Amino acid sequence: MLAFLRKNQVPLSSFCCLLLSIYILTAAARGQLKNEPLSAVLMWILRPLQIASQGTANWVKGFQENYDTLAGFRSENERLRKRIQSLEIEKQRLLEAEATNLRLKQQLDFRSHLTGAAITATIIANSASSWFQSCTIDKGSADGVLKGMAVVTPLGVVGQVVSVTARTAKVLLLTDPNSGIDVLVQRTRSRGIVSGSLENGTVLKYVKRSEDIQAGDRLITSGLDGVFPKGMMVGAVIKVRKQHLGLFQFIEVLPAVQSARVEEVLVVGAQSDAKRQ
Amino acid sequence: MRPIASSELFMRLFLLYFVVGVVSVLLQTTLLHLLPIGPIVPDLILVLCVYLGLYHPSVGAALGSFLLGYSVDIVSSPILGLNAFAMSLVFLSVYFSSRSIWLQNPIVTSVVVLLAAVVKGAALVLVWAVFLSVEGFWIGAARYIIMEALVAAVLAPMVFALLRRGQNYVEKFRAAAQ
Repeated sequence: MLAFLRKNQVPLSSFCCLLLSIYILTAAARGQLKNEPLSAVLMWILRPLQIASQGTANWVKGFQENYDTLAGFRSENERLRKRIQSLEIEKQRLLEAEATNLRLKQQLDFRSHLTGAAITATIIANSASSWFQSCTIDKGSADGVLKGMAVVTPLGVVGQVVSVTARTAKVLLLTDPNSGIDVLVQRTRSRGIVSGSLENGTVLKYVKRSEDIQAGDRLITSGLDGVFPKGMMVGAVIKVRKQHLGLFQFIEVLPAVQSARVEEVLVVGAQSDAKRQ
Repeated sequence: MRPIASSELFMRLFLLYFVVGVVSVLLQTTLLHLLPIGPIVPDLILVLCVYLGLYHPSVGAALGSFLLGYSVDIVSSPILGLNAFAMSLVFLSVYFSSRSIWLQNPIVTSVVVLLAAVVKGAALVLVWAVFLSVEGFWIGAARYIIMEALVAAVLAPMVFALLRRGQNYVEKFRAAAQ
């Protein structure tokens, strides 16, 4: 017996890992896996590294943009090129400062429309997998962020907090296939669920064939899911298809917020209500 | 003397793969998103698990694969255990097939990683269907599996070479110290 175990220790231990992961999956699916310590430790290690790494990524992105801007001046002489480059960097810095100023001003203005508390956070990392649309923000339970809180920007809905550590939180974006946001079509007040899909991007589900939905219709949160404040912009209809069979229409949606371009977000509690509606 | 020396080597290799794992997660969550390959993020963690399965078929490597998958779950998956399951399965598959593979050619390396990526994708779809029950999820999954597998296969020879170099460095360093 001992010889068998020793001989097969690798496949047996790997098999045990498989069983352990199934146990974790089952516990997580039932919501029994709360205060799981490994997440907190790993996020504690990763947070400063992710902030630094994201800073580098932003720098590289800025560098790429600068390079593209300067590509048309290749034929000019070295002195002029250096001059232009330094001016361009300076201009980029000022534009960035102005854009940040404008964004923060918009956020402050938007924040004053929310009745509940809102926490300003910065996105420090994106999803590590192609299969999930999520991101990590730099605020956690120590800052008042709770699981289930809505994540928004002045432009509209970003997603929902799905897990929290002391100093970070994981946000499931509305473009993820696992997300679901109760929405209203602003023009007709028809209800549906906006969710992501791997095949067709973001879609509006469960809208009856008989409902009048047109491309360009704006979608806003209904507030009925108890997560998102009522009246927040979710996206706009870009394509409507009524299949021969089936109860519902197939509707493609363009999200109001392009999550790849978002840097700062607001985390709001379920009690917050936008007064703009 | 020998057991102390081998445990020291084990510790050095453990540290090496721990650092490589953390760096891979960091890259996957930040810098690799800048690559112009659409929604696909190159899966360095998968390549690392395949490497462990091929060159370090041990209990520690099995546990390491599980932890690598689990760390991906922590930073990005909506439910814990999904990637831990997939990476453990990848390790087990590679372990069983490693006895009949002679890996001295970058093309063979790429093919093994491509197949491992397919195993991972299939495991994710299976577990996703059972535990998350997202309607119609599998429709777009095939495209993701193929694209992710191709990207991983392209990256594999380079990552393998870097890992081998790191391992050689650790072993030489130890030999010099002795």
